Amino acid sequence: MASFGDARRVAILSLLGALVLFPSISAAQDSELESLRAMIKTMQQDLQKALSRIEQLEDEKTAGAAKLEQVEKSIKTVQSAPSILNPAIGMVIDATAEHRAKAGGDFNLRAAELGISAAIDPYARAYAFINANRDEIELEEAAIVTTSLPWNLQARAGRFFADFGRLPKFHPHEYPFVNTPLSLERMVGGESRADGVELSYLVPTPFFLRATLGGYNKMGADNERLDDTRPHAWSRFTYLGRLQAYFDLADNHSVELGSSLAYTPSIRIPEEPHGGSRSLAGLDLTYRYQPLASVLYQGFTLGGELFGNTERVERSSGFRRVRALGGYAYGEAKINREWTAGFLFDNAPSLSSPGKKTISYSPFVTWSLSEFNRLRFQYSFLDDQVREEKTERGNQFFLQWTTFLGSHSHGFRTR
Amino acid sequence: MKAGHSNLVKLILVLGLLFGLHATASAQRIRVITTVPDLADMTKQIGKELVEVESLTRGVEFMHAVPVKPSFVPRLNRTEVLVVMGLDLESSWLPALLEVASNPKILPGQIGHIDCSVGVNVMELPKTLDRAEGDVHPRGNPHYNLDPLNGRIIARNIAGGLARSFPQHKAAFEKNLNEYLAELNQAIARWEAMAAPLKDVRIVAYHRDWSYFANRFGMQIIGSIETKPGIEPTPNHLVSLAQKMQQEKAQIIIYGPQSDRFPRQLANQTGATVVRLQSTAGALPDTDTYIKFIDYNLRSLLGAVKKG
Repeated sequence: MASFGDARRVAILSLLGALVLFPSISAAQDSELESLRAMIKTMQQDLQKALSRIEQLEDEKTAGAAKLEQVEKSIKTVQSAPSILNPAIGMVIDATAEHRAKAGGDFNLRAAELGISAAIDPYARAYAFINANRDEIELEEAAIVTTSLPWNLQARAGRFFADFGRLPKFHPHEYPFVNTPLSLERMVGGESRADGVELSYLVPTPFFLRATLGGYNKMGADNERLDDTRPHAWSRFTYLGRLQAYFDLADNHSVELGSSLAYTPSIRIPEEPHGGSRSLAGLDLTYRYQPLASVLYQGFTLGGELFGNTERVERSSGFRRVRALGGYAYGEAKINREWTAGFLFDNAPSLSSPGKKTISYSPFVTWSLSEFNRLRFQYSFLDDQVREEKTERGNQFFLQWTTFLGSHSHGFRTR
Repeated sequence: MKAGHSNLVKLILVLGLLFGLHATASAQRIRVITTVPDLADMTKQIGKELVEVESLTRGVEFMHAVPVKPSFVPRLNRTEVLVVMGLDLESSWLPALLEVASNPKILPGQIGHIDCSVGVNVMELPKTLDRAEGDVHPRGNPHYNLDPLNGRIIARNIAGGLARSFPQHKAAFEKNLNEYLAELNQAIARWEAMAAPLKDVRIVAYHRDWSYFANRFGMQIIGSIETKPGIEPTPNHLVSLAQKMQQEKAQIIIYGPQSDRFPRQLANQTGATVVRLQSTAGALPDTDTYIKFIDYNLRSLLGAVKKG
């Protein structure tokens, strides 16, 4: 019994002991867990610190190397300081070997064009193109363009290619084909070169829309219907308005539309000393297929311009309107990274006798050895009713070699 | 006269309302344009709800031949910040667009122009600036985004640039930057472990855009398909490249937006594996963020090495 009583006592004591001890055991476990947690937290923090330190060291290493490079660069810069602010300079050499059935053969150095461009200050930049060919050296462009006018405005002054149409603003070596289309030559006077001022406004629409107003002595590099060598009445100036819009039809397809009007209140040409007004209207349309993922190898451009010329000329019966309509259209496809092929159709009326026309058909292929070196072969057949120039009729063959030295860009207009 | 007057008042009211709406919209979010999707992704991560971001390119383009689309002009005109890769990567198309965008504050050097290449340790600085060396990059190889460690520099440049223009949000940009960097750091640690099999693997690249990537993961570029940057190969060059690949046991040929004709031809001759990688984010659904894009390239390359 005693043993039973002892055992009971032991059991009771054990129970009591357990009751007293267990909470302390579990409390001990809790505190251990707590300390483990704290330890892990500290380790985490240490690890984070170490990682940040590694990152910092790596960055310092990179930055150190970059700084060293900058120092090296600045040493080089100092060494070349006298020329460092020189403008970007480039030259285009454009030469052709030609055979014209009615005129004969010719090696023609068409252009050695020196281009210079740079920012002037935070408010403007300027560029100039001086072209030499076998006949003459002439200043094609020398213009100042603003870079920070408010209200989406941009002003341009000096000598430049007026914002008329699309190809009239290209230097001939930028054309997709060899020659200036005759319609452009006769109706605009080649490049839309003009001495004057222009103000452009980027209309704040979701799509690209740009409007230009301009005033010039005359427009057209080879335009002999106006004289720009001396001061004359404001009525003999040419005034221009243009609207240009661009739309992405889909990712790879786009269309660009432009309409231009150049108005001259009073023209004087040698045979018309009391010439009346002249309006030259232009409509240009360019469709492009540019597959973004393979633009190096594929692409297609379809472009064309329509020119309409209206002149009031004096006849014995009084003033009379003479209207002429002409234009060109071309298609060009990229065959691979280096080769493109295309076809140009051109319809060029005579401005004085619009009934007479020269119609030409010209297939061409271009081989771009690199971005700066290009060979082009073109055949042209010209059906000529105007009969003014021997060089403007019959079968013609051209081999053109165009190279670009140094910096070369005619900017947004020739993209 | 009276009718005309009331019409004028209406017109002024409508214009005022339009300008008001415009001002409210712009007060809500900072408009940011980036040149490539990588930068757009990082700007979103750093700017979060404060920014509205759009990339001009989609990631499928060859960066040296991006079409100069006038549709980019209105976007550049309206943006408050322009984020670029720099090092002349965009030199063939961006300057012509900026010329007509009428937005002086995003021109190079201005406060709204963020050049992400600042502070990058540039590789392949040309020793001579001569086009006889092909279409050289005067300021060095511009494909630095392919090294994920440079991703950190890009992110910091974006955060710093945004804070310069919008100092009132500096704290938010910094917080988001730190979160993004933590995520990127984790990914970098993962990539470095993953990339172990790439160590010392010899590769040939079509264009020289893989130098940073190869350098980071220990691969060796033994040649390129282009004879010089931007110059297509001649038959002689391909023959000597194939010989070199066999001598040096090159396993992989990398190409990007170029045609696969020459890579496949070389692969047939040498037994190397052809793999198409992306040089910017965004081209594929699973490369829509910078991290996913690096991940994709690494996995594709590891797959090719395994196959090889």
